[in-house]
Amino acid sequence: MDANARYNQLIQDLRMELRPQREWGDGKGLYLVVGHFFNGLACGAWLFSLLFGQTTGLLAAYLMGIIGGVTHLMFLGRPARFWRMVRQQKTAWVSRGFLGLSLFLAGATLYLAPIYLPGLLWSEGSLLSTIGYVAAMLGMIGIMGYMGFVYTASKAVPFWNSPLHPALYVSYSLRGGVAVLFVTSWLVPPAKDLTPILLPLWGGITAVVALLFALEIHGALTGGNEAARRSVHDLLAGRVSGYFYLGTLALGLVLPAYFMYAGMSGATTTGLMALLGLASAVGDFFMKFSTLRAGVFLPVWTHLSHQRR
Amino acid sequence: MRWGMVIDLKRCIACYGCQLACKAEHGTPPGVFFARVLKHEEGQFPSVRQLFLPVLCNHCEEPPCVDVCPTGASSKNDADGIVSIDPDVCVGCRSCMMACPYSNRYFNDKPQHYFPQGPTPFEQRRGADHQRDVVMKCNFCKDRVAAGKEPACVANCVTVARVFGDLDDPNSEVSRLIKERGGFPLHPELGTKPSVYYLPA
Repeated sequence: MDANARYNQLIQDLRMELRPQREWGDGKGLYLVVGHFFNGLACGAWLFSLLFGQTTGLLAAYLMGIIGGVTHLMFLGRPARFWRMVRQQKTAWVSRGFLGLSLFLAGATLYLAPIYLPGLLWSEGSLLSTIGYVAAMLGMIGIMGYMGFVYTASKAVPFWNSPLHPALYVSYSLRGGVAVLFVTSWLVPPAKDLTPILLPLWGGITAVVALLFALEIHGALTGGNEAARRSVHDLLAGRVSGYFYLGTLALGLVLPAYFMYAGMSGATTTGLMALLGLASAVGDFFMKFSTLRAGVFLPVWTHLSHQRR
Repeated sequence: MRWGMVIDLKRCIACYGCQLACKAEHGTPPGVFFARVLKHEEGQFPSVRQLFLPVLCNHCEEPPCVDVCPTGASSKNDADGIVSIDPDVCVGCRSCMMACPYSNRYFNDKPQHYFPQGPTPFEQRRGADHQRDVVMKCNFCKDRVAAGKEPACVANCVTVARVFGDLDDPNSEVSRLIKERGGFPLHPELGTKPSVYYLPA
């Protein structure tokens, strides 16, 4: 969108009482959604790869962490100034996320180096590798938490201002982690088939995601203000409903649920499970994207109208 | 000391003088409005009325924009209560825009000017200090205030609807108006404690 179109769009938005937010998720703001998406996948994949001893999953998580970090920087108005977040560490959630990602990437590098470059640097189980393991774990927890809290701290957008948002983002991350393992298990088959464990795990986490999301929607509709209700309307029946129904529900829930059913019925192949993982991950992306785009600013007039009556 | 502003909604005629004075003072590019006037219609025919609400940064005592800033670019000066942005420190993450419940922050991401033939000498001069890809907002004309003048929007209000002064001084005109005329801030339920008050119409 060129400068003139953006200006006209802004003027049009400023005239609306319930102004949609466009800074995050629109134009260059899309990088933020992509960054959150990849970082979420990276954290979940790292956790489950450690649990199931999947070195391919660890590498995938590391690479996705890098992609997430780069896209976060591309979102910033001034990417070259990212070091200021290091030099002037604050208690803001963005700072914590930056610290978490730095810890994760540094730790993962230390932990993965002896696994993928054996004999060249330090060995597995050495002090450096252990430090890497701990740092990556701490970073992973930081990133998982940061994403939801960044939205919860956004006072201007009541729809995101829900205490359930952090839990929802953690569960997305876990669901994404299982999805990544489905794909890596297809690319590099593990010694033991993980499908019988991953399939119910994916189903359970998906049920938690669906429950948290339903509770958040219910909370916005019943206890939320006008802006929160408009966001829900935009998500379910308005300007972003297409992304929600096609991307999140059809691609991210119905299709993988069918694959899961097929898998549970016995007709399972790693290729089919990889498709499940891919569809699930794409669904998560659209869930994050549509939730972000559905954000509507708190109307300035609310209190004033009340005062004048 | 805590600088604050009182806007008398009974006096405001929505002439946009404050918006223009602010633009002239700061040379803000298109799409950046430190001061704005909102219009709103209430009621149904035949009893309809149009309301005007001039808005600007509320310079909150508990500014949510400062809490979410990852670099400290958004900060509150404890000596005078003015909330400002240091463009040399801002990374352009726009968290502050999502945290400001009054939507009074703008992202300056494109080189823009008002006329197709390019920036005017005035725009070039006024906008020389503006940085791109950072968030911008009202700073209560702190340079003018430091020089003993009123903010541009106050000085140029034709109906004298705006009063600027020290909220901590119980004898100042702003404190008196708030007390006597029932001044109220926007969204007090959020606990941000704004420094901009409105007098009922």
